[in-house]
Amino acid sequence: MSERLTLTSEENVRLNRDAYKNAFLIDTKPREIEPWDKEWGVAISGNTPEPSPFPRINRILSVTKKTTNGFVSPERAMLVTQAYKEHPGEPQELKCARGIANVLLNTPIYIYDDELIVGCLGCDKKGAPVHPEFGLNWVVDEMRNGLMDYSEQRTHDYFSYTPRTQEELESIRGFWDGCTVQDYTDSLVTEELVKGSHDGKGVFFADAYVFCGAGHLGIEQERLMRLGFGGIADLIDEYESKLDMSKPGDIEKSVFYKAAGIVNDAASAHIKRYAALAREMASAEKNPARQEELLQIASNCEWISVNPPRTFWEALQLLHFANAMILIESSGHSVSYGRFDQYLYPFFRRDIDTGTSTRAAIQELIENFYIKIWDMNKLRNHVLIKTFGNGGIGGPAMTVGGILPDGSDGTNELTFMALDAHAHVRIPNPWLAVRMHSGTPRELKVKIANTIRLGTGEPKIFNDDVTIPSMLSSGIELEDARNYHVVGCVEPDVSGKEYGWHDCGHMNIARVLELAINDGRCFNCGPSCPRWAKCGATGSCLGLRTGSLETMTSFDQVLQAYDEQMKYWCDRLVGYLNAVDIAHMAVRPLPLLSILMDNCVESGKDVVLGGTKYNFSGPQGIGIGTTGDGLATIKQLVFDEKKITGKELLDAVRANWEGYEPLYAYVNSDRVHHYGNDDDYADELTKFAMDTWCKHIEKRPAAHGGFFQPGAYSVTVNVAHGRNQWASVDGRKAFEPVSDCMGAVHTRLGSHDVRGPLAILRSVTKLDHARATNGTLLNWKFAPGSVSGETGREALIALIEEYIHRKGMHSQFTVADQETLIAAQREPDNYRDLLVRVAGYSAYFVELDRALQDDIIGRTSLSFD
Amino acid sequence: MLHTTAAGEPCALITEIQKYTIHDGPGIRTEVFFKGCTMRCLWCSNPEAISPGQQLGVYPEKCQGLEKCGLCMRVCPGRDLIEHDGSGPVARVNMGELCKDCLRCAEVCPGRAIRLWGEKMTVPQLMKIIEEDRSLYDRTGGGVTLSGGEVLVQWEFAQMLCGACASAGINVCVESALNCPEEHMRAVLSTADLVITDIKHMDPDVHRSLTGSGNERILSNIKCLHAMGKKPVIRTPVVVGYNADEGNIRSTSRFIAEELHGEILAWQLLPFKKLGTKKYASLGLEYPMSDYTPPERTEWEPMIMRYVDMIRNEYGLPAFAGSSDIINV
Repeated sequence: MSERLTLTSEENVRLNRDAYKNAFLIDTKPREIEPWDKEWGVAISGNTPEPSPFPRINRILSVTKKTTNGFVSPERAMLVTQAYKEHPGEPQELKCARGIANVLLNTPIYIYDDELIVGCLGCDKKGAPVHPEFGLNWVVDEMRNGLMDYSEQRTHDYFSYTPRTQEELESIRGFWDGCTVQDYTDSLVTEELVKGSHDGKGVFFADAYVFCGAGHLGIEQERLMRLGFGGIADLIDEYESKLDMSKPGDIEKSVFYKAAGIVNDAASAHIKRYAALAREMASAEKNPARQEELLQIASNCEWISVNPPRTFWEALQLLHFANAMILIESSGHSVSYGRFDQYLYPFFRRDIDTGTSTRAAIQELIENFYIKIWDMNKLRNHVLIKTFGNGGIGGPAMTVGGILPDGSDGTNELTFMALDAHAHVRIPNPWLAVRMHSGTPRELKVKIANTIRLGTGEPKIFNDDVTIPSMLSSGIELEDARNYHVVGCVEPDVSGKEYGWHDCGHMNIARVLELAINDGRCFNCGPSCPRWAKCGATGSCLGLRTGSLETMTSFDQVLQAYDEQMKYWCDRLVGYLNAVDIAHMAVRPLPLLSILMDNCVESGKDVVLGGTKYNFSGPQGIGIGTTGDGLATIKQLVFDEKKITGKELLDAVRANWEGYEPLYAYVNSDRVHHYGNDDDYADELTKFAMDTWCKHIEKRPAAHGGFFQPGAYSVTVNVAHGRNQWASVDGRKAFEPVSDCMGAVHTRLGSHDVRGPLAILRSVTKLDHARATNGTLLNWKFAPGSVSGETGREALIALIEEYIHRKGMHSQFTVADQETLIAAQREPDNYRDLLVRVAGYSAYFVELDRALQDDIIGRTSLSFD
Repeated sequence: MLHTTAAGEPCALITEIQKYTIHDGPGIRTEVFFKGCTMRCLWCSNPEAISPGQQLGVYPEKCQGLEKCGLCMRVCPGRDLIEHDGSGPVARVNMGELCKDCLRCAEVCPGRAIRLWGEKMTVPQLMKIIEEDRSLYDRTGGGVTLSGGEVLVQWEFAQMLCGACASAGINVCVESALNCPEEHMRAVLSTADLVITDIKHMDPDVHRSLTGSGNERILSNIKCLHAMGKKPVIRTPVVVGYNADEGNIRSTSRFIAEELHGEILAWQLLPFKKLGTKKYASLGLEYPMSDYTPPERTEWEPMIMRYVDMIRNEYGLPAFAGSSDIINV
């Protein structure tokens, strides 16, 4: 084996690319500066001991990997409570500012061995703070019921805590009772909004932001790098000095500026605390090299606490602090890093040109920074983690590549280094997105294909050629649209200028079809339903009475019923989401985030009140394939072929297909038109299913400003929605997942897409991606053999090019052996580092809920070798 | 052998059409598998393509069971031809003398637990499917690959299909063992863009014991191909214990170097993978190599690499391990 590692003949290396399982045959040895066509092997994923060329990075990685769970940290909750108590009569904006300022000034801080980038969430590695303003009861309840720490109900993403932590949180519970976002929301929603929601029958979920901040945004990084906190302080002063306090509006603005000033000063002071800690540690440090590093860290922090950064190192440090402080302020998901290779490029260029730093040193900093993102964590309840397996803060997307505001291609050296950094750490953070377009350079395509083939599921691909027009249709200006970044799993967004409320809720449109053809009633309506007494028993039903398939005489009636039912449920979803939005506006302004966003200081208005440039609210439609196949099945079997009656089909589904096995097998066979096979019959109906969802969501007014944007992806909630749903006409049995994102249906009996990746590609791109302005997603899953070798790489590149060409918006790739996934399910301890694509993000396979593992295994594997 | 549809149109029996293949010819290709073969290789992984006629395959895991479905039994004109596992899933279809080959059971089976191998397809039907991926052929230099079974068993149809592809401007690769009359080969390959063929063993007797057929005609056809000015891709499935000895590799090398003057596009040494076990079972056939345990990768991989180096260094031939390298056509 050692002999092979020293392969010198370029030709031998090339000859061996077929051996995808034996990566040692290829020259995959990591290098500080990687060539653009570096190969990492195929389906190796994280299963390699020391992925980085930098010993320091491998050391930090090993410590961070070993820290599988952290502690619940009560300090933030206690400090916020203290500040609120000391200022009971002040406006909410000011109370919020005093709360976060108290935390930044007093929360514990840490600097770890070896690290060059410092900063944490005010708690130890992988620990998580508590945000009582959004809801405290659930945290305390999980502790009381033993559901926060490791137990059978919580085998991953668990948190330790001391008895003292629980006591402290219990002690402030009374103070927050009735004062949280959750409480405020509850007071606004009516039974009509609740009945179909997450608290009712689960047609839609609108609770994403009930227990935490909205997140799903990026700060305006370029502005922060230009102004520094000192510059922002000047800006606040400048606008505050212009106020005319005789005007009522200006009195409100003065409150905002006071709050902004408080948090801005606290942010500077917080960074200075790190400078002091680094100096203190340096004085005690025995190793002179490390001592020097600590002094440099101290000097970096001291400078950027007020001033704009001068070097790449300082810029990266400031970026990390800014995002960490936003996470301390609000527990929002998917706080993202924007166009990393663009706003940092000037610093990179200057450092290299002036000899201040080297490419290798900058590569090492980026890798350290990736692991720092992984240090941070967030509390989630034991139910939520079942469908979300990534852990960590969740959603820290980072975007590279793509066109510039002037329309030219923006690929640069940092684009490549960001991808290399992932291959060198192979952890699920950040969530990398690469923007592509018709002019993406060949070298970057090869780098992307090779990274995808590694099998960690990173990066995801976004298509500028469809995303930018889609954003223009939402009224975003051309330069801003061209400058988009990707937030969290899926959503295109203008970093620093958009409060998009992306992913605020989701609706199972397959449930809408169920209610549409069953006269507003659930298929499993009966006394076992918890709502029976106030619904079915009274002769009432859950949805709108749109008639039954039994009596419908034409397929047009089915389509019309679906349309009417969809409007009915979109009304309720939008109503619920706006109630949550109003609760945020009233209870939890975000002054720190506001000063880092465009236009809030200029307008004197907090971001949650619509202070920044663009405002939206973006819920997703779930089960697009399931709905499309359902419609196709009805049209073909009941109306076109008249093979069965509507009543027979409904009876079969109500019986969960039991006693209807031949029909069940038939509906799941290729004899019925199915989405995902480049078959217009099914694809057009799937398009109708999705367009109808978009039609009833798009352009509705959002509470904090702007309007609603529909999305077309499920991430992993298709599993949760499936658990809530009885059998469906597409051949799905009760409680199976509905189809994922824009993917085809796969039921227990098999996959409905049977004609290969190019047929999927054509089916998926018949849907109107640009209309789903909140984002779309297609998950691909490849067997390693079909992407291995030169031929495999070129085919993968061609497939991506075709997807771009056909105006698909967003794609993600799993490259894994079916056998490996099944083996990992069986022997999880041997596959701890098997990082796979879930949807929108990558996660360690063995940490996923069983149902989600099965869903990934069930996705059609595209294997052709 | 030329088949015709009920309407009298010429057609072929096709077992499968595989899209997005990347190992049988350049670029992304659509691969059409023809039914019928002139050889009986012990390691064959496409047993459904051996017999020249239509056949039924049985997949019990897709069956809903006799008690819950049983549609096949209702349409079968014979008795005891379809066997079930008690009241459970279908176990086999006895396509013996009593079966009238009516294929009704496959037609009615709702979940394709009984499936037909060898669907009749005409040139226009195949061209429609082939044309679907044209943009990807253009993007990658791909096209269509005719394979099998032995595509030249249905040589008249293959010739028509090659002609149709040529008129449509689609690159055609023919993957054939060339164990056929020379004129059949000439008829089809004159319009093909690329030929992939096998040399499984150089010794005629050993070749016969491995494949049920001697190699004289094959080697003669390969030489004829060379005389036609065609540069083929040669493949050798390397099966340890059967044809993987150095002597055989060396005599194959000499043949290519001396008889073909080394004028080939590539010689691919393919590691043996034990595939198709399930297909044999579905056809009620015995897998000839069912008892064979292939060596570990750690054993065959260095061996293949050694051969590749040897062939390149000592014979100057473009040898490759596996089929994942781009062939420069």
